[in-house]
Amino acid sequence: MARKHQAKITVAAAGVCLSVLLAGAVALGQERPAAEAPPAMPAPFSRDCRVPNNAVIAESPLPNVAAALQKRKVIRILAIGAAAMTGRRGAYIEHIERILEQAVKGLDVIVVNRGISGELAADAARRIKIEVALTEPDLVLWQVGTNDALTYVPIDELRDTIVETIRWLKDHKVDVVLVGLQFVHRRAQDDNYRTVRELIRSIGQQENVVVVRRSEAMRLITQAAGSGGGLFPEEFARTEAGYACLAEYVARAIALGAFGRGLRDQPGPSRVPGQPAPAPQQ
Amino acid sequence: MAREPNAVDFWRGYALIAIFINHIPGIYYTKFTHAYFSVSDSADLFVFLAGWSVRLLAGTGPRRQSTGYLVLRVGGRALTLYAAQIMITMIAIALLAGAAILRDNPLLLEWHNASAVFHDPVHAHIGLVLLTHHLGYFDILPLYVALMLMATVIVVIDRTIPSWLLPLSFALYLTVLVTQFNLPSWPVEGQWFFNPLAWQLIFVLGFVLAKPEGIGDFVRRNIVVIRWISLPIVVFFLLVVWFDWWHDPTKAPQPRLFFILSKTYLTPIRLIQFLALVALFSVAFPYIKRAVPPVVSFCSLLGRNSLYVFCMGSLLSLTGQIIRSIYRGDLVVDTILVVAGIAIMAFTAWLPEWRESIRQKSRSQQPASA
Repeated sequence: MARKHQAKITVAAAGVCLSVLLAGAVALGQERPAAEAPPAMPAPFSRDCRVPNNAVIAESPLPNVAAALQKRKVIRILAIGAAAMTGRRGAYIEHIERILEQAVKGLDVIVVNRGISGELAADAARRIKIEVALTEPDLVLWQVGTNDALTYVPIDELRDTIVETIRWLKDHKVDVVLVGLQFVHRRAQDDNYRTVRELIRSIGQQENVVVVRRSEAMRLITQAAGSGGGLFPEEFARTEAGYACLAEYVARAIALGAFGRGLRDQPGPSRVPGQPAPAPQQ
Repeated sequence: MAREPNAVDFWRGYALIAIFINHIPGIYYTKFTHAYFSVSDSADLFVFLAGWSVRLLAGTGPRRQSTGYLVLRVGGRALTLYAAQIMITMIAIALLAGAAILRDNPLLLEWHNASAVFHDPVHAHIGLVLLTHHLGYFDILPLYVALMLMATVIVVIDRTIPSWLLPLSFALYLTVLVTQFNLPSWPVEGQWFFNPLAWQLIFVLGFVLAKPEGIGDFVRRNIVVIRWISLPIVVFFLLVVWFDWWHDPTKAPQPRLFFILSKTYLTPIRLIQFLALVALFSVAFPYIKRAVPPVVSFCSLLGRNSLYVFCMGSLLSLTGQIIRSIYRGDLVVDTILVVAGIAIMAFTAWLPEWRESIRQKSRSQQPASA
């Protein structure tokens, strides 16, 4: 019960932060281009999730989400991909829905969860096209790479699959947010894991799509919390925090992507203790 | 005495091997299952044969069973399948947990939808018991349970208004395609991977085609013509799969499920290709039996003990995935996995038949010793 209460507070806090961010952005979007005069905004992440913004989110515009927001105040998000769609406090996509809806009054966020656990990117890619046809989303939230890393799918094959799917989605006026791999101590030592993680990052840059770097976020949260190693029970706590924060990062990525450079150029969130200041945006 | 090898057991045995292999994503030997060339896969075959078997259970002529008996049999079967699902799910969770501890890798705790079990056990355990939460690749048995529960109604309809059975099933299927209705999953928000309300049609088709009268009789009398019609359908979809000739699903007219390929909803494209495949390959069994009798005996052994083998196969697939994640899948690892897996599945099938033969032997010896 206490956890639920804590979760609600976390979501509410994130919602308040993002509401300032988004309210300003919507107002700007109605009156003039968002990029012209960014609104004043507080640190958008709740305390537990404060990491350098550019360390966890590779930002890119989400023009279709922005258009949907302005036209009908409804965003349809299709959540698809692999594992880790859930946590003790419910699915992280539900957090995203709540954070975004709390952020903008009257905004209706419809999340369609079609995540199939254990699914490889190639299978997910085929299904994305079908689900896009059935659900007609503005945004696809694609958690990708974990199962391909675990099953050692050839990197070139994985790259082709992801790139081809991103381009297909763009052609069909659907934005994409890629959610990268989960952070794991031992796996971090694995070459294949690192290669897949880097691949997703490079695809994000090459294709100009938003990437939420989950593994980096978890690493920073872990360092900030100063918790020790071992699988239990710290790992569960970290994973819990990771899910909650992941929702905030994705929500922020959506907000930034939808409202452009103006918001992105705002001062980032608070620094993580012991971490260097975030590098300037490119 | 175990029954003689027959087409149903043989194809079911084949389906069990194919499901075992196909449930290890990335494994080399997937290329040797028909799913690699086909729109449909072994899941369709498995469910179709389940419907066929229920019809055989109903019996004909002097062996015709009463409706009450049938309802109890299929209802009891649903209960057995439910117990099997709970058991293998628990073992699968333990396998993932054990592997996570052994490898110090929490990533494995999030694999296959297991995350909710470890991070939200209060809700997830209720979901597991209610069959609203399925682990990845452990979602066929829940479908099978749902179909067996539906079978209690199916057998009653078949006994009371048999000519209504297929139209009613078809009407439900069409309604699902139009409305996109599916059973929800919980606590993880989503839906069933196999929509039982759509998949019931293939089950009912298996049921009615196994009947000696009605549509089953019609198909048997016209099987040659049907095979000639099926041949181009199978070849066409083979080319579609091979050359990736899929049309853009967003360009399909509404209601889109009628025109696109979806496993969840068993859409018409998949259903038609599967039925064509069945018509075409229904000719093959006698030839296979003559050419490779040991293969037929082997697959029939698996098929006769399908529930045990399916359960073991599901756990072996998961084990195979874990092993591949540790040792990387190459041809050697994949070969060992497939050979060892099929051998264990065969042992799993042989064991109950051996126990039954021992029981029969001791029963037959009792009067002599008395």
